[in-house]
Amino acid sequence: MAPLRALADLDDEERAAAESLLFRLADDEFVIAERYTEWQVVAPTLESDLALSNIAQDELGHARVWFDALGELGYSERDLVWERDPGAFRHSTLVELPFAEGDWADPILRGYLYDVAEDLRLDAVAGSDVRELVDPVEKIRSEEEYHLEHAQNWLERLCDDDAGRERVQSAADRLVPHALTLWVPGPAASAIDSSGLRGESLDATRRQWLDTVASFLESLGLTVPLDPGDDPTESLPDSVGSDGNHTDHWPRLHDELTETYRELGRSDVRRLRGEGT
Amino acid sequence: MRWEVFRQAKRGDYHKHCGDVHAPDREMATLFAQIQHGRRMTTESLWVVPSEEVTEIDADDTAFGGRTDKAYRWATAYNVDASFAQEVADSEEEQAEVEQSRGDD
Repeated sequence: MAPLRALADLDDEERAAAESLLFRLADDEFVIAERYTEWQVVAPTLESDLALSNIAQDELGHARVWFDALGELGYSERDLVWERDPGAFRHSTLVELPFAEGDWADPILRGYLYDVAEDLRLDAVAGSDVRELVDPVEKIRSEEEYHLEHAQNWLERLCDDDAGRERVQSAADRLVPHALTLWVPGPAASAIDSSGLRGESLDATRRQWLDTVASFLESLGLTVPLDPGDDPTESLPDSVGSDGNHTDHWPRLHDELTETYRELGRSDVRRLRGEGT
Repeated sequence: MRWEVFRQAKRGDYHKHCGDVHAPDREMATLFAQIQHGRRMTTESLWVVPSEEVTEIDADDTAFGGRTDKAYRWATAYNVDASFAQEVADSEEEQAEVEQSRGDD
């Protein structure tokens, strides 16, 4: 295998492509973690509460990995999180939507749709030739295995009777179109592929994702509101997120998560001891 | 349903009881035990056991020994020069500690 290149060694065009890829990876992780934490203290049992909180922490850790890579390209944490315009976030609408209130099927199914996608995304960046993309994959994946197992085990149990299955089905009808936004190509898509930043195209990854998700959900007696042959663009929601057009829920969430920073009149962030090691 | 969790910190150690989890079945119990009892410490292995499978023997039942003089069982009852082997000295010391904690003469 050819030796890996460093992000800092990319030329301007490749660099722009890498930024665009990293923003999507980081923002999806960051925002889904933020949403997950809303279940703290209100999940169905203490155990499920702790499990989801831990998953949220993992996803924040993964966001940190990709934000750090953007740091290599000159961004500060302040630019990336605390003072970034909400319209400059590139996450999908799947991760920003509020949860259907009191519906445990929502975070579980959403987690499943997201975790399968994350797994495939990791495969794709592991096939790149850039060190900052390849190196973190193994560590992230070891945590992702738990997330997938957690989501699948819960889904199997939620679909164990008619009432539960109906809840999961309605979450699927609502969320699958939003999950498709994870695969909407941005303006840098072809530059990302031609710069060797991922080993698999977005389109191929989406097809794999749909195959995996559909066969698992169908095995639980659910129907996926989309066939593999369908044109995915026809099923997309009005806003796709990754182009900067978000649902109205996003500015509210962004406002909430930056509230303390603004209230305390901060202009910079200090790293905690041991962070980034 | 309640499950008791036993944690082994490193290979060769005993599994020590470290708490419990509530879960509807074995698979979910192992998933929750991992998060609650394995994640923050180095953990070689966890045992997850249905609480009802644990048989308890209480203090009344365990107090059956040590009521009559069985001094002959104690290594410390003999005059042995233990200095020839460290493990014999260690064992004697351990024995003496146990006797003390049991309140034996």
